Amino acid sequence: MALDPAPSAAMMSRFHKIGIIGIPPLDVIRGANEHGLVIHDLDEPLVREDLETASPFLPRVYCAILRTAVVNALHLELDAIYVDTGPGKCDCALHTATILAEALPIPVICTRNTDTAGFGTPLCQARLPLLARMQAITAGVKSAAPYRNPPPVCAPTAGFWGVPPRDFSILGLFPDTTHIYGWARCMENKTPADHALEARFNPEVPTVFFAQSFCAKTALARYLAKKHPHALYLDVDVHTTSSARAKVQAFLELSGVHP
Amino acid sequence: MILGDFGTSYCKFLDLDAPNAEPTILATKELPRDIRVDLATGHNGKRFAERYVNELIALARGGEAMIGEKEYVLLDCGSRDIKFIKYANGKLADMGWNAECGASMGFTIELLERYYELDYARLRVPEQTFSVTCGVLGMSDIFDAVISGIPVAEAVARFVKGIAINAYRFAGSPARLYLSGGLCDNPLFVGSFPCQVTPLGRFVLLRGLEAEARQHSPFVS
Repeated sequence: MALDPAPSAAMMSRFHKIGIIGIPPLDVIRGANEHGLVIHDLDEPLVREDLETASPFLPRVYCAILRTAVVNALHLELDAIYVDTGPGKCDCALHTATILAEALPIPVICTRNTDTAGFGTPLCQARLPLLARMQAITAGVKSAAPYRNPPPVCAPTAGFWGVPPRDFSILGLFPDTTHIYGWARCMENKTPADHALEARFNPEVPTVFFAQSFCAKTALARYLAKKHPHALYLDVDVHTTSSARAKVQAFLELSGVHP
Repeated sequence: MILGDFGTSYCKFLDLDAPNAEPTILATKELPRDIRVDLATGHNGKRFAERYVNELIALARGGEAMIGEKEYVLLDCGSRDIKFIKYANGKLADMGWNAECGASMGFTIELLERYYELDYARLRVPEQTFSVTCGVLGMSDIFDAVISGIPVAEAVARFVKGIAINAYRFAGSPARLYLSGGLCDNPLFVGSFPCQVTPLGRFVLLRGLEAEARQHSPFVS
């Protein structure tokens, strides 16, 4: 395992397909784009394999995103993996990188993303289906290009604070006028370590504070939900349970938020 | 219009078209497979109706209909799960639904009464309690207590009190709460809460459905 904040062009030129965990610095993404590398975002479910295949490497009671990343890493034929282990990610990713470096015959390169140049957050504030916007935000981590033709900002009627969930289906419950906050907003802004931006919320709109179960961000989500005048704290593990769906539905309906 | 609350152990029905009709109860295991209602709630309800209202919304609407206050906590203890709604200034302030860690508490209480041939109306609220977070896990405490020489009735009463305290904490440890569900008829359970409790009975979700039905169809009789 190597800590390589500025990957050399020579190293990149040897690769064809890389995986990323978290959001590596823009220099890494830019280098990969310039070399025409295929980038797989390992945080998303990419292969049809049981999550249990991660269990020899990570405990079952562990962040579902990282368990997913391990399953992807084990089953995709990659030339290297870049793992962000800086302040924009978590210790769990660092430990996962250590384990993957020993388990896989490819370089596992740790990075520290401290990028501060904001790209803006147009999708977070647009009037479009929340699920589609979140998909676009997560897809955006694979490109270093600036955003073109940003959609107009809408007035929010609800808020979703948090990370992109492992199971996106919960996002289908929200109205199109839901604004996105939390780490997902940092993702779109390409500043994943911007903790001030991550902690921002809109007290004027009912907001669901979401975190993956067993993630350190559960503490921040619950803390902010208590500060918000009209909030629902929610943590979900691998799949969105019926009670989690019901909580979101009830929270939005009883708060007067209409689809 | 027929309303149905399809619970894990019991189903409750109300016919809004029948003058002065009272709700009826049917054990879920005796439910006809082809039964149909117009509006349903309960974890089992989607299969039996065209229109479904989720249980938290039904609970909240029932609370709004039955509790004439702006600040309250309403806790529903079912066979399979526990859920609560908290209102402040007449608005939703908090809610929770524990379907996993609160699993099978009500079901286990009923099971124990039958298995040990107890009558909860005759059991006193015990001084001590078990730390119970789940009906299934709490059973071990009962068995351990009985093995250590504690009478069965005392052990079960401690279990029931532990469940009540767990539900009370889940609801945010309020000074007073309204209670919904079949356990309202269990004096040991109601008396085990360390706060003021107002039992509303087992038809709160039905009342919530009724409010939903009238809101969407004001001409319902």
